[in-house]
Amino acid sequence: MRDERLTFFGYFRNIYTAVKSSLIGMWITFRYVWGKKPVTVEYPEVRDVLPDNTRSRLYNDALNCISCNLCAISCPVDCIYISSVPRPKDLEVPKCDDGTPKRQVLTQYVIDTALCCYCGLCTVVCPTECLTHTDDYEYSQYMVEDMKYDYLTDDLIAWRDRIVKT
Amino acid sequence: MQTWDMDLEELKEEETSLPGSKLKTELLTVNMGPQHPATHGVLRVEIKTDSEVVAQAIPHIGYLHRCMEKHCEAIDYRGILPFVDRLDYLASMSQELTYSMAVEKMLGTEVPRRATVIRMIISEMQRIASHLMAFGTYALDLGAFSPFLYAFDEREKILTLFEDISGARLLYNYFWIGGVWNDLTDKNVEYIKEFLDNFEPELVKYDRLVSQNRIFQERTMGVGTLSLADAHSFGATGPVLRGSGSAWDLRKVDPYLFYNEVEFDVPVGEGQRGSEIGDCYNRYYVRMLEMVESVKIIRQSLKLLEPGPTLGKVSKVIKIPKGETYTRTECPRGELGIHLVSHGEKTPYRLKVKSPCFTHTSILPHIAPGQMIADFVASIGSIDIVLGEVDR
Repeated sequence: MRDERLTFFGYFRNIYTAVKSSLIGMWITFRYVWGKKPVTVEYPEVRDVLPDNTRSRLYNDALNCISCNLCAISCPVDCIYISSVPRPKDLEVPKCDDGTPKRQVLTQYVIDTALCCYCGLCTVVCPTECLTHTDDYEYSQYMVEDMKYDYLTDDLIAWRDRIVKT
Repeated sequence: MQTWDMDLEELKEEETSLPGSKLKTELLTVNMGPQHPATHGVLRVEIKTDSEVVAQAIPHIGYLHRCMEKHCEAIDYRGILPFVDRLDYLASMSQELTYSMAVEKMLGTEVPRRATVIRMIISEMQRIASHLMAFGTYALDLGAFSPFLYAFDEREKILTLFEDISGARLLYNYFWIGGVWNDLTDKNVEYIKEFLDNFEPELVKYDRLVSQNRIFQERTMGVGTLSLADAHSFGATGPVLRGSGSAWDLRKVDPYLFYNEVEFDVPVGEGQRGSEIGDCYNRYYVRMLEMVESVKIIRQSLKLLEPGPTLGKVSKVIKIPKGETYTRTECPRGELGIHLVSHGEKTPYRLKVKSPCFTHTSILPHIAPGQMIADFVASIGSIDIVLGEVDR
């Protein structure tokens, strides 16, 4: 047990140790005035360099997608909405960049980024590497419905050159 | 310290000393939380106060309940990993480790040696990061602001490393079933060594700044004392149990990974610097000493690092044979156990998480009576609960 009896000398010793240890602490803090670089990144003007494998915004390169549904199956929060129809047999089967034939016609590819938990499981299973995490993190919206991104629209396909790393 | 053994009803009926007067004392009910900085999240503590002294404290939990255990019954085994991350969001790596070890135990998967060593290094780094957070916020609770900033500065360096290897800052999904996702590069190993060299002087600084500070000691010593017998009966683990004087550490008692190949001590609260065994100061001090031990462990495990594969052989669709397992590891906050029951399907039949924070929350009503409200804040901080794990 701690000795809680207050003796005359104990009282002043306590004050002495309190002042002394506080001064030591203040000296440690005071040394931060010089010699220490600021660690703050002043965000809108200065941007932090993110590592290469940053798991930020998902981007699906719809031109290379073979509609295999693997990403939607592996997603733990079911935020990928994908639908496709079989390609008519008399038409020629187009191929992806890596030569995989696209036997299905992709009719819908929507990711609800408000629901996405950025776990990266969908990008791992993707056989043609068309679904990737990019390092773009500035895509806030006013309404939750706007967070659903349809990757078949023209303006999102055009983003391919901007945010996908080669 | 004054103790309040009397019943609450008696306390209400107690009359003031004025004879013949109808004046009575009454307990005042105050809600602390759910939006209170000292409760470290969304914990609501219903406090019955007698002037400034806490007569009774009732924690109300459930504000962060996300039905995680029920959700997991509908998700495949790989998809559970991001959910497990979100239990204790300050120590995600340790939670992933427990879950992936549980699944590997049932599958019989052999984890490559390099992956196991990486797991050990990273989970010890996570322990340092988590204890830094506990140290910083504890000092903040008690009115010291600068230790919080210094602790966050160091924690940021660890998070930068985690971001580099896993791609995320807080919820990593890095320990996969069968190994780890990405390999540690030589650059990362150099970064860890550099971090450890810089971190040891920092620990000395924290010690002089906070641990030796008389005001801090006065605030924590002899406050919220939990005796060893009580700690055992409440089922406390981790720094709370070790602060009460028991050298129980799963890394020593039931070694997993390669903890039997490295040398380290188990810090125990021994009433250092004139404190009382099991008080807030001991619990705090055990955490500080554990960071020193973690540095030792990381240094030794970096030597164990050999080139090799980092992901064992696991089938694409994981189906676990019928059976059940209980896996436990020593997380920064205590013993985390995962009870996994499988009926031979793609999803678990039942996943039960035994969380240390939940057990530690039950200690609060025991140590609260008789404390001042400001000391109660110190008690909550020293137990270091994360509400994501309490409610699940």
